[in-house]
Amino acid sequence: MSGNNHQFAFFLGCIAPNRYPGIESAAIRTGKKLGIDLVPLKGASCCPAPGAFGSIDLNVWYAMAARNLVLAEQMGMDIALICNGCYKSIWEVNHKLKHNAELRDAVNEVLKEVDMEFKGTINVYHLAELYYNDEICGLAKLKDSVNTPLTGVKVACHYGCHLLKPRKDREFAGDVIGDTEHPTWFEELVDALGAEAVEYRNKMQCCGAGGGVRGYDIAHALDITNEKLINMTDAGAEAIVDTCPFCQLQFDRGQFEIQEKFGVEWNLPVLHFCEMLGLAQGMSPVELGLDLHQISCNPFLDKINGGQ
Amino acid sequence: MVYSGKKASESSEPPVEPRIGVFICHCGTNIAGSLDVIAVKEYALTLPHVVVSENYAYMCSTPGQNMIHDAIEKDHLTGIVVAACTPRLHEPTFRTATANGGLNPFRFEMANIRDQGSWVHMHDWDGGTEKAKDAVRIAVAKATMLEDLYPMAVPVEHRAMVVGAGVAGIQTSMDLAKAGIETYLIEKEPTIGGRMSQLDKTFPTLDCSQCILSPKMAEAGRMPGIRLFTLAEVEAVEGYIGNFDVTIRRHARGVLTPDEAAAKGIVGGGCTGCGDCSQVCPVVRPNTWEFGMAPRKAIYIQHAQVVPLIYTIDFDACVKCGLCETACGTKKAIDLNMEDELFTVKVGTVILATGYETFPIEEKSEWGYKLYDNVISSLEFERLICASGPTIGHLVRPSDGETPMSVGFVLCAGSRDNTGIGKPYCSRFCCMYSLKHAHQVIEKIPGCKAYIFYMDIRSFGKAYEEFYYRIQHEGAKFIRGRVAQIQELPNKNLLVIAEDTLLGMPVEIEVDLVVLAAAVQPTAETEVVRRLFGVSCSADKWLLEAHPKLDPCGTTTAGVYLAGVCQGPKDIPDTVAQAEGAASAASIPIHSGQVELEPYYAQCVEKLCAGCGMCVGQCPYSALSMIVADDGRTVMTVTAAKCKGCGTCGGFCPGGAIRMQHFTSPQILAQIDAFFLGGEQ
Repeated sequence: MSGNNHQFAFFLGCIAPNRYPGIESAAIRTGKKLGIDLVPLKGASCCPAPGAFGSIDLNVWYAMAARNLVLAEQMGMDIALICNGCYKSIWEVNHKLKHNAELRDAVNEVLKEVDMEFKGTINVYHLAELYYNDEICGLAKLKDSVNTPLTGVKVACHYGCHLLKPRKDREFAGDVIGDTEHPTWFEELVDALGAEAVEYRNKMQCCGAGGGVRGYDIAHALDITNEKLINMTDAGAEAIVDTCPFCQLQFDRGQFEIQEKFGVEWNLPVLHFCEMLGLAQGMSPVELGLDLHQISCNPFLDKINGGQ
Repeated sequence: MVYSGKKASESSEPPVEPRIGVFICHCGTNIAGSLDVIAVKEYALTLPHVVVSENYAYMCSTPGQNMIHDAIEKDHLTGIVVAACTPRLHEPTFRTATANGGLNPFRFEMANIRDQGSWVHMHDWDGGTEKAKDAVRIAVAKATMLEDLYPMAVPVEHRAMVVGAGVAGIQTSMDLAKAGIETYLIEKEPTIGGRMSQLDKTFPTLDCSQCILSPKMAEAGRMPGIRLFTLAEVEAVEGYIGNFDVTIRRHARGVLTPDEAAAKGIVGGGCTGCGDCSQVCPVVRPNTWEFGMAPRKAIYIQHAQVVPLIYTIDFDACVKCGLCETACGTKKAIDLNMEDELFTVKVGTVILATGYETFPIEEKSEWGYKLYDNVISSLEFERLICASGPTIGHLVRPSDGETPMSVGFVLCAGSRDNTGIGKPYCSRFCCMYSLKHAHQVIEKIPGCKAYIFYMDIRSFGKAYEEFYYRIQHEGAKFIRGRVAQIQELPNKNLLVIAEDTLLGMPVEIEVDLVVLAAAVQPTAETEVVRRLFGVSCSADKWLLEAHPKLDPCGTTTAGVYLAGVCQGPKDIPDTVAQAEGAASAASIPIHSGQVELEPYYAQCVEKLCAGCGMCVGQCPYSALSMIVADDGRTVMTVTAAKCKGCGTCGGFCPGGAIRMQHFTSPQILAQIDAFFLGGEQ
């Protein structure tokens, strides 16, 4: 692509490439149209998962995340990623190591064993944040890239926890983070694609999976998910859009589990924002791997543009 | 400061050999418990010029002061050093003792061995003792070089000014006026009355707020000793205690008072408050005094009891159609071309009473204020429950006008909040007014439930705790724990999600209406006024009193006093009490007729002054100016009454021509030498 493009080291995480490969391909291909070149971060490990590793041993968490950061530092590129969990680990460790010399020295002691050193030369961004950031893309450019607007559908935006919280020290799209209780930027992104974002109760509630809850107590996790599904459908949502593959897994796979365990049937399609953007830019459902979702996306696809 | 002593003109040649007395205070165990006062006393005797050194348990006591007094006479001392607490606390005490012994009070020097000694080196006996010796040595060095100084007396203008006409400002002005002091009362709104006039009832007596305030407002409005200026703001301030020149901007009201009309030769003219103008005015705007919940015209009064009862034109909204002029008829009260006026008054003392405003609770967006129709603030509640309010006292939900059958009161809405969004301090009256609100809904709406979500109930005043029990017995439900979130349900009801810390479990309660007891903060104008008068503020921007316990009405700027919530949150009784205190404090210099200024002002040594004028621009108090001296050269001169003795000019002067009294270069050099060279000078 042209030299004016912004290049980022693309950190994939684990769930997107393994469970929803469509998110990966959508991110790369939609990014190209918006001047965002995603260059694979070769040799990347697990982020590591903030709930799993961070709850058990912070030193391992710091060191593994720092190793991923060093890979990007060696490429001389900022990191872009597509998962809230990865964002929590990689953004936060980057921030902590940049601002805490003692911690940085301790982590570098560990990294020395693999001939690496964390220098603190790069930044970490969520792709959704780059879409919203006027200096990188911005709403106008996003809207310009749409050739098949997703009109006629109502969607419920799920922000997910780790992207915005904790609020302290976080930035968003180049600014100090704004309202974390009633944010609206995700709705603005969705509106730019032509779909209608609905307000629903408990918008900022967890999907149910994060923090190891899904692994520890699946019934409890599904209970939370079920409440979100009630609130979303109450508001008339015909699909869920998220910024996090783990939330997506919980909503998508979770609807099957809810049916098995509680006997409640929802059939609400779940899409990552990159997938929804891909549709709006004219990519086919098969190119986006939507047929690999557990809950069929067809009712949603049939509804777009009055079913054409 | 009263003292006996020889005037400079009478004094004989200063003694060739200084004779210094040193007095070490134990301050109980404050000092003696952490360092060796006996060692310090004995060390002092080894210093040059020290002829007597004593130690005593409490130097500030009468026997302690008498030791100084007696030693001056017996040992013919020329300088006194007390090693004790701080000059802030006891310099005046020991100056008086020095003067009573027959020495000039400025022959006294203090060594701070408590606040900067024993207290900070509490666990270092030897180190603390050595530091105390250093402090004493330095003080003695300066004491040997001190000179007689004489405070200047300046006359005090027999007038006062009060900025802000809420209940604090009204009370202060009335007290001053009754004490025979002509008082300017300056209010930025078109009427006096402040926040208290917006309240319905007052706790714990449940008096109607307007019923007790309106007579005071009316009396203040017609008292001959009060010169009331509404719709007016302080524009500029010059001068110092006794002689403040304050410039006031009177915003164009567009309407003449009867006096103003008479002055213009309009016989029987001026506004009578009849309201004919407002009836014909075609422009409708939200009434900000009712928080936008009622309409008003572009020519308006805020409410029925305004003082003065004069209409006001909102020139931002007025379309100048002239219908009001026609309706006003022969009274000719309306002047659509009126402009702001500036005038300057001279006053002796000033009281600031600029009040408070509520914290913007929408910033705590988890509670949904301004997002959900049925989440209102407590001041909005006051207007909705008030008989003279927009709903004639019928409490309604804003979404549909229905009577709420359950109301949630969220206390500490932004107060006691260390998240960085809200305010860390307690706003101090929210507990009590929320109890009052709960009482009002239970009393006015049969069957209506009141839920009070609280962190602690602080009912600290006289008859307040009893009021708390009363509301409990009336059936209000108390849930202890901060509210985490408020959600709007599809029927516009609200789900209040909180933790009940007494039950140790989360609670969710559905209510029809939520009232947020918002934190309070100083008004935006307070910062402007504060800077104009040079008054300090605390980290949270409340105006800073001179001493939190011993001088709660004064400020560090002589002649400027504080009253009411601008100094920190307080309820009506405390506000009125402080207002009376401020009036008393502000009347003392006025009734004395003169004040003495500390003689620490700079002096220009004319023969050294090259007339470069650089110092004039450096002075933060505009105390310096250039004059032509007798020999025809241009030199600097100091207006002593304006000089605060900060030393900026003295430190800057390239020719060393500025002499700082009590902090002369030889005195400071002697201190530095004493520190670095030890006892050998």
